[in-house]
Amino acid sequence: MKALILVGGFGTRLRPLTLSVPKPLVDFANKPMILHQIEALKAVGVTEVVLAINYQPEVMLNFLKEFEAKLGITITCSQETEPLGTAGPLALARDKLIDESGEPFFVLNSDVISEYPFKEIIEFHKAHGGEASIMVTKVDEPSKYGVVVMEESTGQVDKFVEKPKLFVGNKINAGIYLLNPSVLDRIELRPTSIEKEVFPKIAAEKKLYAMVLPGFWMDIGQPRDYITGLRLYLDSLRKKASTKLATGSHIVGNVLVHETAKIGEGCLIGPDVAIGPGCVVESGVRLSRCTVMRGVRIKKHACISSSIIGWHSTVGQWARVENMTILGEDVHVCDEIYSNGGVVLPHKEIKSSILKPEIVM
Amino acid sequence: MEISEQKVVAVIMVGGPTKGTRFRPLSFNTPKPLFPLAGQPMVHHPISACKRISNLAQIFLIGFFEEREFTLYVSSISNELKIPVRYLKEDKPRGSAGGLYYFRNIIMEDNPSHIFLLNCDVCCSFPLTNMLEAHKRYGGMGTVSAETANQFGELVADPITKELLHYTEKPETFVSDLINCGLYIFTPDIFTAIQEVSTHREDQANLRHLSTFEALQSPTRAFPLDFVRLDQDILSPFAGKKQLYTYETMDFWEQIKTPGMSLKCSGLYLSQFRFTSPDLLAGGDGTRSALIVGDVYVHPSAKVHPTAKIGPNVSISANVRVGAGARLINCIVLDDVEVQENAVVINSIVGWKSSIGKWSRVQADGDYNAKLGITILGEAVMVEDEVVVINSIVLPNKTLNLSVQDEIIL
Repeated sequence: MKALILVGGFGTRLRPLTLSVPKPLVDFANKPMILHQIEALKAVGVTEVVLAINYQPEVMLNFLKEFEAKLGITITCSQETEPLGTAGPLALARDKLIDESGEPFFVLNSDVISEYPFKEIIEFHKAHGGEASIMVTKVDEPSKYGVVVMEESTGQVDKFVEKPKLFVGNKINAGIYLLNPSVLDRIELRPTSIEKEVFPKIAAEKKLYAMVLPGFWMDIGQPRDYITGLRLYLDSLRKKASTKLATGSHIVGNVLVHETAKIGEGCLIGPDVAIGPGCVVESGVRLSRCTVMRGVRIKKHACISSSIIGWHSTVGQWARVENMTILGEDVHVCDEIYSNGGVVLPHKEIKSSILKPEIVM
Repeated sequence: MEISEQKVVAVIMVGGPTKGTRFRPLSFNTPKPLFPLAGQPMVHHPISACKRISNLAQIFLIGFFEEREFTLYVSSISNELKIPVRYLKEDKPRGSAGGLYYFRNIIMEDNPSHIFLLNCDVCCSFPLTNMLEAHKRYGGMGTVSAETANQFGELVADPITKELLHYTEKPETFVSDLINCGLYIFTPDIFTAIQEVSTHREDQANLRHLSTFEALQSPTRAFPLDFVRLDQDILSPFAGKKQLYTYETMDFWEQIKTPGMSLKCSGLYLSQFRFTSPDLLAGGDGTRSALIVGDVYVHPSAKVHPTAKIGPNVSISANVRVGAGARLINCIVLDDVEVQENAVVINSIVGWKSSIGKWSRVQADGDYNAKLGITILGEAVMVEDEVVVINSIVLPNKTLNLSVQDEIIL
């Protein structure tokens, strides 16, 4: 089976992290974002993954070579020369997605994390015999999104309503699709929206079905949702394979610590923390609701919450970092500094406190 | 002894990529020294000034950028000025004087009698010939250019002999009102002086019976032995010993540390062109070509609609298209930008390949020193029709479909 992952553009909402690497390679729970999806696809028998990109192909291609070998799956890139929207890239990658087998192929939005119940959607797709299956997820405030109006028992999709003012339903498009090759015949090679142009047509022919996504769902394309997403992910990990999570008297709640990371004495770590490869957390450190990326050093007595610490940064002794502070790559927060929501671009040194949310260029 | 026609060389310090984060977002894709001021790369201005010195043998650019960033520029400027210009990449930080010392063999290749040392991010009239004459009169090891300013000065000079009596870096109380302009002339003795500093450090470490490693750990010795800074390690200790002198200038002088200052300095150079190279400035009266007010530079490949009004202090780079009825005041418009009909751009810098929509307005207060005093649009920023952008900085590849004010848009 084949899969297309819509990677898209510059990932500007995840800056400053995406100033250093393209968004799919930004680590989430100690693994490049896109690797979570690729591994889940491999697990259901997908043999080839196509990445639809329009930015930094060289960086992506280097990364892919490494993972192709490790995972035993073919990964190729399909590069847009102009932005093609959410459906155009499918037309562009047509030749890579169709083969003689006539099997359906997956399409995923690269920002989405979930439990990726791909086996379930394959079975669902076979059962209803329609042309396309999409996963939907229930949300509290559907009018912020595009709502999928569907028949609850069969899942047959009636229509899509963009940001409805009156309540029409509470299921939104989760960005996971399983499509028959015939869908490609409906898409022209031009900027096209799958939700506004392609799916409505298939729905009108009563050939589009939606399945409610079991488990958690999050679009981690921006820092606040990234942090919430980590909580959901670790929660799910606890339910499934809790041996991966850290244990010990210094651990509270769900915490992921890479095997090459070192944690000192007298720390209190958690809940909802991910500590990446090669990190050094010195003694007396408090970490909660945060991501600490590869190669970071957190010095003694520091306290970090609700923040993301970018690759190879350091946080000084007694520093306090909180409230959606995002440190880019190679940022050094000096001893005793306080950061309240500082968003710091790469290669900076923070020598004076940031008292209210501010971008430091 | 007959002093025959002796050669001189110039060294321009251009810095490197991880320093100078203050020049973001303009420095993301282009090294700061190559950012255009008045239509020419920043480093071009000191280079052209050096070319006016007689007996100039070579020009060296020293920095931390990758060689390939400068290859094209260096080869084309060598060709154009008919003088060798070479880029030397420092392998590790050695301090402003340490870097000079590291390349001493290359610098001394032509056996120059004098070495000019300039900082690339200084904007001034570069009175190098007069400064060299003064240096020869003083007969010292080095001459520092200085200017009276409102800020805290670092130099104290003897009013008669012009000798440098005292030097202090970044003083917090009043020491003098003379500041260091970042232009120096040295005789080859400077290399001996730099070497003495390293040796002295080593001796001090030995004297205390400390190993070099321990010496490095002690709080007073934070630098490796070969890290020599020009200001603290050379100017300060040698002041008052009849080795260093000052040359005072009265002309304009600014440091180009931020994008805002680059707009100010572009204007200073444009007004200088009116005296030195008036043919570089654009002219037009609104009939067959656009109405030009004040000092304006337009690249030959740019197309400006005759009903547009441009200036004062505008610099338009290659392949720019300025549509009908557009108004540009005090701005730098970089390569491949499209300014659409009836748009207004004031006190701003518009990044490469950006697009300014119809009737949109991109402006700022014009305070060159304020963080958001000049609006900066990074590379490939799209401002949609009728959108207003005021006192903001927009990072590359953003599309603005809503008006913004006083914001940094990541």
